[in-house]
Amino acid sequence: MAELARSLRLYVLLQRASARSAMQYRLNSVIGVLSGAVWQGAGFAFIWVVMHTFPSLAGWGLAEIAFLYGLRLTAHALAMIPMMSVHDIQWVVRNGEFDRFLLRPLNPLVQLMGNRVGLGQVGDLLVGVTLLAVAGGNVPVDWDAWLVAYCVVAVAGGALIEAAFFLGLSSLSLRMVDTTALRVFVDDVFSRFGSYPMKVFGGVTEWLLTFVLPVAFVAYVPSSVVLGKLDASWALAAPLLGVVLIAVAYLVWRRQLDHYQSAGH
Amino acid sequence: MMRIGFRLALAYRSNIVMTCVTLVAQVFLLRMIWTSVYGARPAAAGLTLDALLAYLTLANLQSFATHTVVSRTIHERIRSGTVFFDLARPPGYLRQMAAFQVGNTFGGLLLLAPVVPVVLLVGSITAPVNGPGYVVTLVLGYVIAVQLALLISLIGFWTMEIGAISLLYRLVSQFFAGTMVPLAFFPGFLGVLAGALPFQYLGYVPAAIYVGHITDVAGPIMVELAWIAGLWGLLALTWSRAHRRVVIQGG
Repeated sequence: MAELARSLRLYVLLQRASARSAMQYRLNSVIGVLSGAVWQGAGFAFIWVVMHTFPSLAGWGLAEIAFLYGLRLTAHALAMIPMMSVHDIQWVVRNGEFDRFLLRPLNPLVQLMGNRVGLGQVGDLLVGVTLLAVAGGNVPVDWDAWLVAYCVVAVAGGALIEAAFFLGLSSLSLRMVDTTALRVFVDDVFSRFGSYPMKVFGGVTEWLLTFVLPVAFVAYVPSSVVLGKLDASWALAAPLLGVVLIAVAYLVWRRQLDHYQSAGH
Repeated sequence: MMRIGFRLALAYRSNIVMTCVTLVAQVFLLRMIWTSVYGARPAAAGLTLDALLAYLTLANLQSFATHTVVSRTIHERIRSGTVFFDLARPPGYLRQMAAFQVGNTFGGLLLLAPVVPVVLLVGSITAPVNGPGYVVTLVLGYVIAVQLALLISLIGFWTMEIGAISLLYRLVSQFFAGTMVPLAFFPGFLGVLAGALPFQYLGYVPAAIYVGHITDVAGPIMVELAWIAGLWGLLALTWSRAHRRVVIQGG
């Protein structure tokens, strides 16, 4: 436990240092945050225009879709803010920089996560939280403290699911298997399909997105529970899956780490 | 220059493969969403579901095929100072860059070709209602796309930094090209704005002519020619000012 607290403290320190270095290019940083926000805003503009003509998408109204979209985006941002610099792993390994991580007395994964700060993801977070707040006020739900708490847990669970896939695939880079393209693809599937009710896709795709790549559990299942479209017994499925997956991903990471051979510099 | 652009497109094959996967996923997603919202409705905004799906498939194919990389190339060359070599060559700078883009598009098309059947299968296609009209408006639309891309990249001669501007440009142009939603669905003010901007010629207009949603072809062609002439003038003017401001970094 003390070890975990120490890692967390050092992670915060590393991130603060990375943020300071990013802020050296102040305008670029602001643009980074803004472009993340604009990108996501454009994605939602599509839904808004479509639902202007058609009031219902698979039985979901605009506010409900907005809630789903916001939940997905917030979870995504929370997953990617720490995971963004893990994306560089290919280069960190190739440059031999990873060897330095192994020499320092801190978990190399924590060092890798603290290497860079994900500014574009901060923009995602802003849009996600805004959407959640606005949509939350417009959906026909009686909010109480429990339900709000559940939303927080659901967002954390969704973030863990996305982070788990990202970490698991990234760790293969320790053995010189380049998974960048695959990672981009998985991230794309989460982003593209995760923000819609799974019923839209139907049949095989719905099944694949639920049980093979559990996109459905990131936001669709929790928002269905919150909006009363799915039985409350499903409520904890998503957060639990998140915890299990991240644990598995971390085990994969440890195993790959055991097989790490330096690029040789 | 054309050959360089062509080879460059082929050199980044893995990039293109990823792009193709994205394209297929995108067309699939759009098909599912639109089929779902149409439900049992036979038509909306004058488009049947079949026509709409054909429209979306085409518009997305077009958007990927006519994607311009020239801004990024110019930006990189301004930053590294290698723009000097482009300027030192006898043919005009803009002409070189336009040729580069055209070559790059051809290379991209070559790689896109095998994916087209997959996209058509995942999406949907109908027989063209007006084939020649489609081709003419698309080619003219492509000219406009290249001109706009060049214009955006010239900003780099003043600001040195166009990464954010070109990202913003891509988002705005794709949205107003109607790649995901035909312009016919844009409500009120948004519709008026989209109708006034040139981006519709990159996606909406050709594809809508193909599926027969727009029947008048002469009108759009005239407007496209006017845009081309106008942008031509604007480009020449901007360039005559820009090249006096050239800063060769590291020169």
